[in-house]
Amino acid sequence: MSPNYVAKRLVMIVYTLFIVSLIVFAITQVLPADAAVMMLGENATQEALAALRENMGLNAPVWQQYASWLGHVLRGDLGTSLRTGQPVGPVMLEALGRSLLLAFLSIGLMLVLAIPLGIIAAVRRGKIADMIVSLISYAGVALPEFVTATVAVLVFADLMKWLPPTGYVPLTENFTSGIAHLVLPVCVISVILIAHVSRMVRSELVDVLHTDYIRAARLKGISRGTVLRRHALRNALLPTITIVALDVGYLLGGVIVVEEIFAIPGIGRQLIVAIQARDLPAIQAGVLIMAATYSIVNFIADILYAWLDKRIQYD
Amino acid sequence: MTTTPETPVLAIDNYSLDYDTASGVFHALRNIDLAVHRGEILGLVGESGSGKTSLAWSIMRYLPKNAREPGGRILLSGENLLEKTDAQIEAFRGRRISMVFQDPSTSLNPTLSLGTQLAEVLVRHRGLTRQQAWKEGEAMLDRVGLKTPAAMMNRMPHEASGGEKQRVVIASAFACNPECIIFDEPTTALDVITSCQILDLFVELQAETGVASLYISHDLALVSRTASRVAVIRRGEIVEQGAVRDIFARPQQDYTRELIAAVPDPAHRLVGDRVFETGKPLVRIENVSVHYGRRPFLAAITGRKAERVAGNNAISLSINPGEVLGVVGESGSGKSTLAKAMTGLNRFEGRIWFDGREIRNVGDMDNAYRKDVQIIFQHPDASLNPRQKISEILSRPLKLFGDASHLDQKVGDMLEQVRLPRTHAQRYPHQLSGGEKQRVAIARAFASKPKLVICDEITSALDVSVQASVVQLLLELQKTSGASYLFITHDLNLIRQIAHRIAVMYRGNLVEIAPAADIDSPDRAEYTRRLIEAVPRPAGQYL
Amino acid sequence: MTDFVKRLLRTPQGAIGVFLVLLVLVVVLLGPMLAPYDPETLSPLARYKGPSPAYWLGTDQYGRDIFSRLLIGARATVVMAVLATIAGTLIGAFIGTTSAFLGGRADELIMRTIDAVMSIPSLLFALLVVNLLGSSTVNALIAVAIAFAPGMARITRSVALSVRKQDYVNAAVARGESSGYIILREMLPNVIAPIIVEMTIRVSFAVMLFATLSFLGLGAQPPAAEWGLMVSEARRYMHLSAGILIWPSVAIAIVAVGFNLLGDGLRDALNPRT
Repeated sequence: MSPNYVAKRLVMIVYTLFIVSLIVFAITQVLPADAAVMMLGENATQEALAALRENMGLNAPVWQQYASWLGHVLRGDLGTSLRTGQPVGPVMLEALGRSLLLAFLSIGLMLVLAIPLGIIAAVRRGKIADMIVSLISYAGVALPEFVTATVAVLVFADLMKWLPPTGYVPLTENFTSGIAHLVLPVCVISVILIAHVSRMVRSELVDVLHTDYIRAARLKGISRGTVLRRHALRNALLPTITIVALDVGYLLGGVIVVEEIFAIPGIGRQLIVAIQARDLPAIQAGVLIMAATYSIVNFIADILYAWLDKRIQYD
Repeated sequence: MTTTPETPVLAIDNYSLDYDTASGVFHALRNIDLAVHRGEILGLVGESGSGKTSLAWSIMRYLPKNAREPGGRILLSGENLLEKTDAQIEAFRGRRISMVFQDPSTSLNPTLSLGTQLAEVLVRHRGLTRQQAWKEGEAMLDRVGLKTPAAMMNRMPHEASGGEKQRVVIASAFACNPECIIFDEPTTALDVITSCQILDLFVELQAETGVASLYISHDLALVSRTASRVAVIRRGEIVEQGAVRDIFARPQQDYTRELIAAVPDPAHRLVGDRVFETGKPLVRIENVSVHYGRRPFLAAITGRKAERVAGNNAISLSINPGEVLGVVGESGSGKSTLAKAMTGLNRFEGRIWFDGREIRNVGDMDNAYRKDVQIIFQHPDASLNPRQKISEILSRPLKLFGDASHLDQKVGDMLEQVRLPRTHAQRYPHQLSGGEKQRVAIARAFASKPKLVICDEITSALDVSVQASVVQLLLELQKTSGASYLFITHDLNLIRQIAHRIAVMYRGNLVEIAPAADIDSPDRAEYTRRLIEAVPRPAGQYL
Repeated sequence: MTDFVKRLLRTPQGAIGVFLVLLVLVVVLLGPMLAPYDPETLSPLARYKGPSPAYWLGTDQYGRDIFSRLLIGARATVVMAVLATIAGTLIGAFIGTTSAFLGGRADELIMRTIDAVMSIPSLLFALLVVNLLGSSTVNALIAVAIAFAPGMARITRSVALSVRKQDYVNAAVARGESSGYIILREMLPNVIAPIIVEMTIRVSFAVMLFATLSFLGLGAQPPAAEWGLMVSEARRYMHLSAGILIWPSVAIAIVAVGFNLLGDGLRDALNPRT
């Protein structure tokens, strides 16, 4: 892995965020909402509105507004919420923390289940374990999060009363209750990820098991188990890093729905509230933070991959 | 069981192998009888699909699930391998019988160091600790002629050359002093000079250890150089076997005779040696260079200079009307790069003079130039569009360069010209055999009545016997059309048969151009001499 | 053509996929004719009924016949998903082919921009677009189409690039064929098969995305019989009758699995070499 590659990937992050900022700004510009009206209410006088618009720079050309917004963003100021009057940056980042907890737990659960499932399915191709993985993967594509979430709440909270239906309790406040509230959301998010990743692990491993070097190792008298552990797994699991990183996109989308259903005050729910209230600065900040999270995760994954896979000479 | 000197190390006794497929049972091997004795090399020669590799898997007991064994025995020092349990077989593999594979770049795990992959055999079968195995591994790499064994142990496969990797594979095959080793085309994936060195190593180790060797190859010439006995296999059956000398001197079967006749023999020239007037060449290439790749990102933004990969370095040569100019060189020598530059597939610097016209860049290659300069590619699978019928493939050049009337008639004529039935026009490429596809590609190239046909390794994907008939076809077409050929190949024996002059390339540079008849003269450049020496003696010279 | 159908039906995925998609197609075309009740007629006396000969799948919180609502809602859900996928594929295919054809720095720039756009989760993207244009079915369609375009562009480009490297394209270039001929006759037939496969599979994503948008209140609006909306409305009443929740979920699952299986089947059937 050369410094050249790292530099290139870093520049790509900057470019990504630049494009995202353009898109976000463009979308919020076209929104038929008038920030001044939102701040002062429908009954404000024309003079007061005009004064505020002037004050907020809303009369300036669009590109100047963009430049000034971007300038503030670069200085760490993501703006003030039109809805609450609070600075959006800290609010969104705090919400992101809760979402990341949810996301990390989901990825953790997914890795614990998906990788063994994929391996078993590949090794015992055509057997029962393989069919189970196929079934899970079709369930994953067939059931959107809002369906699994709703059914899960119905079964485990309403009928069985094993778990609390919705809500969020910080882990620092009450650890057991906090975890109990996270179980259903984490499981719901994991289903689709498990479906996708276990299928990927399976097909990667099946490909690796058919390579010449696996055959060569078997023909040197190395046992099946050792060949699997020493030769096959490493090579099959490496690409999974990239797949998981790309799945973070799905994950963040899923987080939006799940947070809404389980009433978790994460960034997804903040965004939905902001979108429904047409709270422009909050939308801008939320989307930017989500895109940045995605880009950084993918950057880390690519670097990790390049570091682990010494074959690849990036330029 | 006791082993007497007469007991062969490996004996295959009336062995048959079937595969269950969707379209019924496929008989891969039928009633095979073979024996390899201690200190002996048995060559097994066959074309693709003959079952030679299936036999190797059978011996190694590494068969797919759909394999059935209706009868026969495979005996290793008298023990029937078919009766062994999986665990017993696992203990045999690598210790009593081992294997060297065709392509060292795929048979070594790309993510484990060479040392790890060699040491694991020693740990598995000789009960050494990791440290002991590592030390022993170094000694073995030294034995297979690697100069810095300790450093090589720590290298990853991508850090070693093809020849070095194959030496490591050979070292692990010999690691536990097995009774028998199967060599499955061990030099096919390597360059000429490297493969010659690997072959020398094999002969030396074999003589030293006396291991019984089964040497599988498609190349009769190669086998005749190493093996004492040879067996010819075709469609799952042994056609003929015997001492190499007998097989070549008195082949009993037609198929063996065909195979021997098909092996290119430089002594047997297929074109006349007439001298060409060099005053008015058809093509003159002046200082043509090709560079690949873009500047790396960091270099681009920091303005640092970066080395670009050179595909060709200032190549100059000329081709006369009606001449066959051979171009030889190892992989990566820039042979194909030159062909691509001449057909507008690569940008180039320098200039090309064609039929008195100056071509400075791709833009100068107009319809008339493209009509006169045609290219045929190596893999007919890739060069024929899988979703077009043969009729559409062949009618394209007619529409572009000739008149488009009576297309069906003309397409049929073209097929007949390359000795294919007219009805093939209605087929798709995947319904044709490899040789037939290459004939279609040849017909397409000749449709525009070109003055120069560039043949880019067009025979190397084909079996020997198919190759011979394709070469014959090309030479006949040349006689009738008078076209010049730029014939690119790595097969020196073949090019010495059919070329008037031979250009030798190495790492993007043109080493020299010499008349084909003088290519083996001692006055040649050092690289050319090494190349010629490395080529296995053709079968015919064995007599 | 018959040969192609035979190949498609040869694999179990293909056969089940064809069956499910045909079933969905029948419902889409004939649904309103087959529906025994009006989907929006309220019958306060017949609320929360279980399945019975009169109401095959029972009734919902307003006493509307669930079976009829599903039959009629198929159009809203499936037709929209198919249209949105086709639109997204066309936009994506255009961008992807252009990028592959231009090559070099332009290709790099376009693809990095596509990557940047893809860093916004497609659900969030759709939410933003719908919010921008106002909640309605047509706007949801546009939102999903735009959200799909970058992914399809990426796939089209990689397929087109791998085809571009094939020797039959090189042969056409060396022969001096026009760009139009090379793209249309040499490349397109080989590019189109994998794209059709990908598009078929994406219809099921689109169904999910539509349902999710409706669920979040940004797609179809009540009292429409859109499946996602039906699930959303059922949430408050699900402890009274699980059927209100389960049947629309099953309908969504059938469509999603059907298109997925069909895509897998097409992948095998469209390969000329098998």
